[in-house]
Amino acid sequence: MNEYDDKWEDRINALMDGELSARDAELLKTEATDDRELARAIIEAYQLQQAMDAIQVERAPDSLRQRLRAIPRQNRTKPAFSLLQPRWAMALAAIPLVIITFSLMRPDTPSASEIAKARQEMAIAFAYLDKAGVITGREIESSVGQTMADAVTDSVNRAIKSQNLNSKEKEA
Amino acid sequence: MKRLLIRKVVIGLICTLFTLPVLAQEDELKSLAGYVDFGDLSATYGEPKITINLGGTMLNFVGMMSSSESPETSDLISKLKGIRVQIYSLEGGADDARDQFGKTKSSLKSSGWEPIVQVNDDDEQVLVYMKMIEGNMEGMTVMVVDDEEAVFVNVIGQLNPAELAKVMDRFDVDVDVELD
Repeated sequence: MNEYDDKWEDRINALMDGELSARDAELLKTEATDDRELARAIIEAYQLQQAMDAIQVERAPDSLRQRLRAIPRQNRTKPAFSLLQPRWAMALAAIPLVIITFSLMRPDTPSASEIAKARQEMAIAFAYLDKAGVITGREIESSVGQTMADAVTDSVNRAIKSQNLNSKEKEA
Repeated sequence: MKRLLIRKVVIGLICTLFTLPVLAQEDELKSLAGYVDFGDLSATYGEPKITINLGGTMLNFVGMMSSSESPETSDLISKLKGIRVQIYSLEGGADDARDQFGKTKSSLKSSGWEPIVQVNDDDEQVLVYMKMIEGNMEGMTVMVVDDEEAVFVNVIGQLNPAELAKVMDRFDVDVDVELD
């Protein structure tokens, strides 16, 4: 490419890019009417620009796109356990939701089966109380005889009963 | 590996959620005057074979359910604020259970509980204590330790043993009570 070509190429490129002022553009066109080489160069530049505009972006195959997208992820240094990771952040955010759900699922009124279970548990507790009563009664009996055992047991019962009566009177 | 960790976290979370109501019921009872801390023997004997924690709310429901079939039972339950039971199998020997028995007994004495009945045999110890405040019964504690099991029962509220004996027949329960 000679000096002559370089000089025109800059102006033609400026014309193609719309960077040439209207006056310079008109001057260039005037010069082109007298200079066939210049006219041909301008026409070729226009044709090249149209050809470039006609070229469409070719879409890469999906497999290639996936592989390209995976490259940054594969090369990224894996961070240590962090609660800021999306999966953990989501899990933490789900905890209050789970608690609320469970609290809503547990109504204040227990179910019939829960009450039946509680009744059974209460009966077990009473049975062990009864067992302790029998053991202590038997021990008193073996130590001091049946008559005295009954007297002791009765006096204990009376003492406890009097407390209940006393509290009833207070409530009344 | 991560999936295993997540599974563990989820299982832990679910267990916690199910345990919370039980702990809440235990906490509800702790504030009452008739509550007794029996300590923890699980380090020696493992988890108790029976653990019962019934709060006032649940007992109210049980009382209401019982009112139609037995007013006596309903009346007895209505005076209760809580029932707690811990029963351990003493397969590794009864020494630790007897130690805990002694500690709890000292604790009861120092906190104003009154002894009602006590049996001190070589192979069997039974203790019944009652808590009274201004003439009102606030709780009863029964502890039984023999060679096979340790039983800790804490009834919070008012309980008349004579009334208990009357209503016991209505409960269809078998706790393997051995009487020689």
